[in-house]
Amino acid sequence: MSNKRKEVVAPIAEAASRIKDGMTVAVGGFGADNHPMAVVREIIRNGTKNLTVIASATAGLEIDLLIGAGCVKKLIAPYVGQEMYCPIGHNYRKYAESGQIEIWECSEYILYAGLFAAASGQEFFAWRGGVGTSIVELNPDLVEFTDPIGKKKKIVAVPPLRADWAIIHVGWSDPYGNGQHLGARFGDRWLARAANRIMIQTERIVPNSVIRKNPFMTTIAYADCVVEAPYGGHPYAAHGFYKEDVDFIQDYVKCSEANRKGDVATWTDYLKRHVHGPKDHYAYLETVGIRKLLGLYTHPIVTW
Amino acid sequence: MSDYSWKELMAVVFSREIKDTDKITSGAHTEIFFAATMLAQKTHAPNLKLQLGGSVTLCNVVDQEISELPKTSTGYELIRFAESVHDHPDTFLFYGAPGGADYYKEGSDLREVNHFWFADKFFVGGIQADKFGNTNMIGLGTRDKMTFRGPGTIGINDIAIGVRDVYVFLTAHDKRRLVEKVDFISFPGKKVCRDNEYYGGGPKWIVTPKCIFDFDPNSLEARLAQLFPGVTVDDVRANTGFEVKVAKKVETVEPPTRAELEALRTMVDKTGVLRH
Repeated sequence: MSNKRKEVVAPIAEAASRIKDGMTVAVGGFGADNHPMAVVREIIRNGTKNLTVIASATAGLEIDLLIGAGCVKKLIAPYVGQEMYCPIGHNYRKYAESGQIEIWECSEYILYAGLFAAASGQEFFAWRGGVGTSIVELNPDLVEFTDPIGKKKKIVAVPPLRADWAIIHVGWSDPYGNGQHLGARFGDRWLARAANRIMIQTERIVPNSVIRKNPFMTTIAYADCVVEAPYGGHPYAAHGFYKEDVDFIQDYVKCSEANRKGDVATWTDYLKRHVHGPKDHYAYLETVGIRKLLGLYTHPIVTW
Repeated sequence: MSDYSWKELMAVVFSREIKDTDKITSGAHTEIFFAATMLAQKTHAPNLKLQLGGSVTLCNVVDQEISELPKTSTGYELIRFAESVHDHPDTFLFYGAPGGADYYKEGSDLREVNHFWFADKFFVGGIQADKFGNTNMIGLGTRDKMTFRGPGTIGINDIAIGVRDVYVFLTAHDKRRLVEKVDFISFPGKKVCRDNEYYGGGPKWIVTPKCIFDFDPNSLEARLAQLFPGVTVDDVRANTGFEVKVAKKVETVEPPTRAELEALRTMVDKTGVLRH
């Protein structure tokens, strides 16, 4: 018997290979921030199929990319787009309109209610929002019932949303899976808590002493797997490290729009340039270029 | 030809609506509303409680310089203005931006009867809106065949149950967007809110580039209340997909004053994002 603590660090390729065809995967971040892109791209390189994806409450184009790469069968998300850059994700539209992906219609809190139910081991969480909307009509998993106490008002029961894996990007993590967000946490703690296993993608792996210096900041404790990926959120922002790469996102929007309009070649070329072409995360960063990457620098938000 | 853009007009109109005592929540990002709230905070509402998007970023920019209007509701530029940032699920569990109880003591007990008083004002977009103010972000078509997949409901229905005044906002005014009945309901209009006994009051206005509709307190249907400069009632009728009822007195919106435009352009929108 060893008395040495187990480290859970894995190379990106090995970590991503744990995401198998048909699994349910929760992908962290929010909007244009903190998405685990290095792992997402590796999942696509692996040709992973038929995933059920639980997206963040305001999913960005990381989900649109997974859809456009043919990895997704079912999507649990109240929104896919990139706000002012792209109000509606183009691949999301294309695949939803043609029926190639199934959408679990919801709203932000209904998504969270499902995560809360899963995290706390309950049969459902209740919520009034959604009553009187079309969400309940479009999603057969949601059940409307009458308030058993007041006997009058309608309430929606939301069943647990449990993922096989949650993939969460953090600022830094120690080798034992203790991660700290160095900026906004969005819904990441709930996506993680509702999953059977947690994969941390971290900008930097730091010694355990750094975590112990401020354990109040630990947002994800005892993850099952830690992947180091500097600039792993690119083209999105990673709070505390860099902002989003606007040019790159605009190119994505252009190529995905072409795909929606039937120009498959432009989209295939995009995937080749930025996903399948580069053999790993570092080769990807080389295609982005050092001037570009360093130009995205932002001052740390959290300091101590 | 006016010397201001439509977006600048909108930002000024909404800024005027905002009171110093307001709690405002802004969801997915739009430059117009962000500019409107920032302008209000800078000019007449220094105590405005503004909660932004996904990180529940509580911002006050009274003494902050805004170099450029942010493109997203969650980015670094916005976090810089924040005085408090929470986990996003807290948005729904802790009523949005805290404080503001005094406001309701002024001649109203609304705060006491509403146990989910999320905010005073909230801005909602849509791909369709109907005469009751129901709005649709889900898509066009039927349950079995959606011919157009919209962005999704995001959190607007969750917030609707607890916001006093919701401003429904359409970026174009035509019969495709203003319809008799929306294909799907994302945000419930006044009638649905009342039928379901929501604390929230539902939509206060539907705002388009042509006009502002308010709601008849009895029928809960939209009625034309204000026109933007240069627009006529007939113009609105010809471009609206439901029968346009008209308030007793239809006013024309006061154009932005020189002072309002200058404040907007020098303190909030320095790079002129709203000018185009």
